[in-house]
Amino acid sequence: MEPVVQFDNVNKSYGKHVAVDNLNLSIEAGKFVTLLGPSGCGKSTSLRMLGGFETPTSGRIMLSGKDVTRVPPNKRNVNIVFQDYALFPHMSIAKNIAFGLELKGFDNQRIHRRVSELLELVQLQDYAARLPAELSGGQRQRVALMRALAPDPDVLLLDEPLSALDAKLRQQMQIELKAIQEKTGKTFMFVTHDQEEALTMSDTIVVMNKGRIEQMGDPNTLYGRPGSVFVANFIGETNLLRSTVISSEGDVAALNWNGITITANPGGLAPRHGEHLYVVLRPEAIHCSAAEPVSGNRVKGKIRQRVFKGNHTSLMVEVGGGAMLNTLVHPSDVAQLGGEDIWLGWKPETTTVIPDRHAHN
Amino acid sequence: MRNMVSDAPRTTLTAFYWAFILYLLLPLTLMMAMSFKDANFVAFPIGDWTLDWYAKVMQDKQFLEACLYSIMIAAASTLAATTLGTWIAMLIVADGIRGRTIIFALACLPAVVPGMISAISLRIFISTIDMPTGTAAIILGHTVHAVPFVVVMALTRLRSMPRNLVDAARDLGADGVVAFFRVTLPYLGPALFGGMIFCVLLSIDDFVRTFFLGGYRPTLPMLIFAKVQGGMSPEINAMATIVLVVTAAVGLYAEFITRRARTR
Repeated sequence: MEPVVQFDNVNKSYGKHVAVDNLNLSIEAGKFVTLLGPSGCGKSTSLRMLGGFETPTSGRIMLSGKDVTRVPPNKRNVNIVFQDYALFPHMSIAKNIAFGLELKGFDNQRIHRRVSELLELVQLQDYAARLPAELSGGQRQRVALMRALAPDPDVLLLDEPLSALDAKLRQQMQIELKAIQEKTGKTFMFVTHDQEEALTMSDTIVVMNKGRIEQMGDPNTLYGRPGSVFVANFIGETNLLRSTVISSEGDVAALNWNGITITANPGGLAPRHGEHLYVVLRPEAIHCSAAEPVSGNRVKGKIRQRVFKGNHTSLMVEVGGGAMLNTLVHPSDVAQLGGEDIWLGWKPETTTVIPDRHAHN
Repeated sequence: MRNMVSDAPRTTLTAFYWAFILYLLLPLTLMMAMSFKDANFVAFPIGDWTLDWYAKVMQDKQFLEACLYSIMIAAASTLAATTLGTWIAMLIVADGIRGRTIIFALACLPAVVPGMISAISLRIFISTIDMPTGTAAIILGHTVHAVPFVVVMALTRLRSMPRNLVDAARDLGADGVVAFFRVTLPYLGPALFGGMIFCVLLSIDDFVRTFFLGGYRPTLPMLIFAKVQGGMSPEINAMATIVLVVTAAVGLYAEFITRRARTR
């Protein structure tokens, strides 16, 4: 199927600063795609280029099969939900939502029908006549979303729309956003620096760093099989074990980490003896016990710090050579560990191996 | 003792404040009081009170015509100054405009140039371009004078406008013109309304520019000036009182409206 959005070798620079560096990206219809990265990684610039508010320095942007690289924002069929909502303060909620429809030349009856339909979708029927200032943050957020959806865009662009909300409301809105996306079947392109938001809602996450795509995939893959140190660090919490290859044979590599021998699956890397690798070990993949595990990788350690987090307790465990491992246990299991000296074990298949050359980001 | 010393600046300030209020209100009160005096001379004691002077003023064709003429000039110059001032303010905040400081300085200049200098230069200007003195010239003079006030008020409001508002309008299908009229202008509304009222008051109040640029038809201040030269009479006081009450009411109303809009 033809992608809805396609960036072909898109570059954007401001003077000497390169904001977007040779971006190639296709987005399939009906998907929830998130551009994720730290501030200044080029995610917002990419979104604004698709919205028509920035023109690429070079390259081509296709929207539904048409070249829109130089088409002004009012002439392209995408709509943005802005970070600060940008609701028109002098217009009622209904008028705000109707704005795009009026400019499309719809007749009054059709506009009225569409507006009530959308207000109903977010249960704001009773607020139609209110001004934006009379609404709460979450309600304004919903109105901004409906205003952008009203003209039926090919793609809905969302520029960090949840960042102004408090933590609880943000989580609620994440679920609501995803539900609306599924109900409407629209293609959503969401921009955020919050990995949790990205993991919760996305079909596809595009991790960006320094104007480039670092890795792209579904949330499971990105979390479970990060392709670079940057991605491993950016998404979720992680232990990065810098190791030296002792031997490697097919799916099994023996590695030296801080004088401890561990095994991992090198994937397709086929590393040579003496090469350096990173092993990505997620905290929840580590099993803590009082007795030595019978199989898998294991290492003895001393608990240096415990932090109670409600549904789990986070442990910082010092292992040989001063290295620290971050792990977590169920609060009720903490007592079974006995003293401060514990064993940490993990299965080799729960880890991912990243070549060292990616580390220089 | 210590208390009195530490309170001294405060007490002095309060005293000055009341002295100022007195100084401000006393002449106005006197003027108003005299307009109700049932005699031909503006002097104490007042003796009998009357509303005859007001009745006379309201039947004074000259006065009514001058009022109408002043209002017409105020309306025209306000409209012109608001359009021009808004345009200049938009220009100053626009992207990629060079020399915005110079544009701003030039736009503000008419507010600081002394009225007399401005009036003479305008007079020389209109005779250079062979423009006759009279209505058009007065409107021109008042417009130039009022533009800086509109620019400053519009700029203040524009700078507080979320950047994304216009982007959002463009995003939803509005071209530049539609975005301006449907989003920017309504946003500027309260500021422009306040600015317009101010322009009207400036125009109605202006004497120097009108004096140099006017023809034979007198505006309100010119008429009052002419009448004063013929000797003070309570009729002039009545006229002045009417003007004072109306302009003060309009000014306060405008302040009330803009304040309410601002707190929204």
